[in-house]
Amino acid sequence: MRILLAEDDVTTRMIVKELLGKWGFEIDTAVDGNEAWEKLCEEDSPQLAILDWVMPGMDGITLCKKLRENDRKKYLYIILLTSNTRKDQLLAGLDAGADDFISKPYDSREFKSRIDVGIRLINMQNELREHDKLLGALEMSGAICHEMNQPLQTIMGFSELLLLDMDPGSDNYKYLEQIKESSKRLGDLTKKIMGVTKYKKKPYMGSERDIVDLDKSSQDK
Amino acid sequence: MMDKKILVVDDEITIRELYVKVLTKTGYTVFAAGSAEEALELLNESPYLVYFLDLNLPGMNGVELCRNIKKQLPVSIIYAVTGYATFFEISSCREAGFDDYFTKPVQLSDLTDAAADAFRKLDKWNKRK
Repeated sequence: MRILLAEDDVTTRMIVKELLGKWGFEIDTAVDGNEAWEKLCEEDSPQLAILDWVMPGMDGITLCKKLRENDRKKYLYIILLTSNTRKDQLLAGLDAGADDFISKPYDSREFKSRIDVGIRLINMQNELREHDKLLGALEMSGAICHEMNQPLQTIMGFSELLLLDMDPGSDNYKYLEQIKESSKRLGDLTKKIMGVTKYKKKPYMGSERDIVDLDKSSQDK
Repeated sequence: MMDKKILVVDDEITIRELYVKVLTKTGYTVFAAGSAEEALELLNESPYLVYFLDLNLPGMNGVELCRNIKKQLPVSIIYAVTGYATFFEISSCREAGFDDYFTKPVQLSDLTDAAADAFRKLDKWNKRK
């Protein structure tokens, strides 16, 4: 799990970075709110951010608000580092979009526990996204298959009907057989698509883009 | 001797024509309807014992039609023919009284085998009366 740590104080930044590293996290750092904003706007930015409340440039609260207004593909879990203990201040942080707080001076066990909470939530959100993707794909595929199966029935069925009265030795019989077999293959394909229960991907023709792996997505296990 | 009459219900005219042709060729007397409402009108005029129903019909759907037919003719054998069968649809089909279901595109031999199977069963029940 990658974490962005935005802390202007060098010592605090070093200590927290070392602590997070000991816990097995990959850390990216920012020295102020503006740098944190740029890094969190990148394509593959971390999903968990620990932001100091008071920073030069953009402070933690303002950064929080901006991040929440920004449309993101994946959920960003925000923890504010703060010396504030006043209720109205903490509420302001929550209203700005923070998910949690860690009070300075921090207790390392509490720090770890609060990060673990964030990771659990991120994993849940990611699972939900994958589930929604699958639902969307299933709904789309169901609609497409339904529409395709009607004309396929016509092509396959009338081919079969014509073949019943044809001379098996004739060229037309062979051509019609091929039409029938091809439409049956398409029918088997739509049945496979309708059997999709999971969302498994594979690379498409050596490119960076992935496509649905129909075989793996429609297997029972 | 039992009158081997079949009713095909599908809103697509080409599919109705196909099923009528192949089942007629096999030796059955086949009628067709383009909607559930039309099917019920035909049923009022004359009973059918074997049915092939599309599920996705305009107006009343195939599942509801099956329930209606079973109420009037509990011994009838009714097959669902659908372009897309979800788990939910299959459960609804069983609950409504369908004897089996087929997913389009159906092989013609599956249709004729189903019809033969249906009349065999009906013959058996008839002989036991």
